[in-house]
Amino acid sequence: MYLTLNEMNKEKLRYGLIITVITLISYLIFILSALALGLAQQNTSAVNDWGVTHVSMTSDANGNLSQSLMTREEVLNTKTTEHSAIIGVAPTIVKSHKSPISATFIGTQKNDLIDKSIRLTKGTWPKNQYEVLISSELSQKGLNIGDKIKLGMLSHSVLVVGYVKKLEYNMSPVIYGDLNNWRPIKGVSDQFYASGIVRKDAKLTHATNLKNYTKAQLFNKMPGYSAQNKTFIFMIGFLLVISAVIVAIFLYILTIQKIPNLAVLRAQGVPGKYLVLNTLSETLIIMIVSVLISAILCGITVWLIPASVPMFFDIKLLSLAAIGLILTGIIGAIVPVRIITKIDPISVIGG
Amino acid sequence: MTSLKLIDVTKSFGIGESKVTALDHINFEANSKELTLIVGPSGSGKSTLLTILGGLQSPNSGQVLLDKTDLSHFSKKQADKFRLNNIGFVLQSYNLVPYLTVKKQFDLVEKVKPEGNLSSDTFKKYLEYLGISKLLSKYPDQLSGGQTQRVAIARALYTNPQFILADEPTSALDSARVEEVAKLFKSIAENENKAVVIVTHDLRMREYADKIYEIVDGKISKK
Ligand SMILES: Nc1ncnc2c1ncn2[C@@H]1O[C@H](COP(=O)(O)OP(=O)(O)O)[C@@H](O)[C@H]1O
Ligand SMILES: [Mg+2]
Repeated sequence: MYLTLNEMNKEKLRYGLIITVITLISYLIFILSALALGLAQQNTSAVNDWGVTHVSMTSDANGNLSQSLMTREEVLNTKTTEHSAIIGVAPTIVKSHKSPISATFIGTQKNDLIDKSIRLTKGTWPKNQYEVLISSELSQKGLNIGDKIKLGMLSHSVLVVGYVKKLEYNMSPVIYGDLNNWRPIKGVSDQFYASGIVRKDAKLTHATNLKNYTKAQLFNKMPGYSAQNKTFIFMIGFLLVISAVIVAIFLYILTIQKIPNLAVLRAQGVPGKYLVLNTLSETLIIMIVSVLISAILCGITVWLIPASVPMFFDIKLLSLAAIGLILTGIIGAIVPVRIITKIDPISVIGG
Repeated sequence: MTSLKLIDVTKSFGIGESKVTALDHINFEANSKELTLIVGPSGSGKSTLLTILGGLQSPNSGQVLLDKTDLSHFSKKQADKFRLNNIGFVLQSYNLVPYLTVKKQFDLVEKVKPEGNLSSDTFKKYLEYLGISKLLSKYPDQLSGGQTQRVAIARALYTNPQFILADEPTSALDSARVEEVAKLFKSIAENENKAVVIVTHDLRMREYADKIYEIVDGKISKK
């Protein structure tokens, strides 16, 4: 530590540059993590808000809930409890005095699991099937309480009576309404009654042609969801590797330059361990300072970016990324540490 | 009374045609209270002798004895500890850490060896005597060659070691300074009970020596 701090103090430019580079990389990692999470939430936020763990739908829907069509019979054959809810999901176009907007209609039944999970942020509860609640995102797009809107193939218009927080399903904002509106919005024949059943427990007796999915399976079946996540994980992983390599190169060059002095210190009896700990503290300081600066940059970013950018800064995820970066730094220090442990004073002091 | 002895030490480098015998059946002794000089042409094996004496490398054959202990039986850790506590090295170059001020060179010693170092009074006295007490806030790259060498000498003395092994410690000093450094080493040997071994080309140091060895082509003779 002592040597490191003094070296940093003497070589401010050198360390300033490396900290700048690592700061930029870790800032990029943080932003990408926030973006990955923000985009993921455009798929997951509504389902997560319901607090459910499993979903059942017809097996030929192939895991895509909005493609699932359950018949009245299938619904009746399924025993629902207070831990489950019959749900109708329909991607739709919202027509109003504004230009058309894509949204996902979620049909629920009064006082079922989902209905009870809904929290109004503004307005009043729908009193009948002619009234709906909309995601606050739609209010940002110009829809207001009191607007009459037309949804899909539904013959009558419905009235917006309240907002819920920003909730999305498969990249589009949700509209909560009565399950009875689901079939006409989707424009399917009378025999169909709902899309599927969401629930909080794994056990459910239901008709044989229904298939069970966990929440994670449901998300992974959403178009684009897993491809997008894999892309982000790849990019973030790659950036971590890059920062490990940069730290390794930097420390390697510094250590190579210092070998004669390190050798003399070894000759004077300074333990190798002391020099190794010194290099490790060097890495840790570089990484921690960089991570802290980029965390501050992230704070500023949160403050500056428009709400429409799908970024979500989750402290847990970012802490994980920060720990990843610091571990990366330690990995980068392996090469110089090996050099130090192998220094033979004689080879440097020679004759 | 402590001593470092080489008994029938041979050290060679390389194999076959390129084999160099740096030390050829050497017997050598450095005792406390004595200033021992090693002289000889360059390439004759002086530095090799000094580093073997200080436990930095081991001979191919023969013994290195610290009183009655054979240094070649030391583990790496023990050798480190022995050097840190008992040897004051002045090496031919790179003695100072480039990013530490002169003052901090000594603070570093305190970090790795917190006990048994010079009292601050004695330390100040040495700094004054070596004419470097005004250089404490300077970095090595701000020092002249002579100043660097004098700081290196102070650095070697700082741990208050039993043995001081110096490899051409006065090569960058002017005559007046050589004289002073020789006197300092002599008085440290005599008054502080240290064994001082100096490799030098400098004839002016001879008059202070208690013992002089000459090495030529790896063979040693006592004068
Ligand atoms: N580590 C080493 N590897 C190979 N040869 C060495 C090494 N150290 C010393 N030598 C050789 O041993 C001989 C003695 O070297 P040295 O002890 O440095 O002489 P001096 O200090 O008297 O100038 C020289 O020929 C030198 O090239
Ligand atoms: Mg030499």
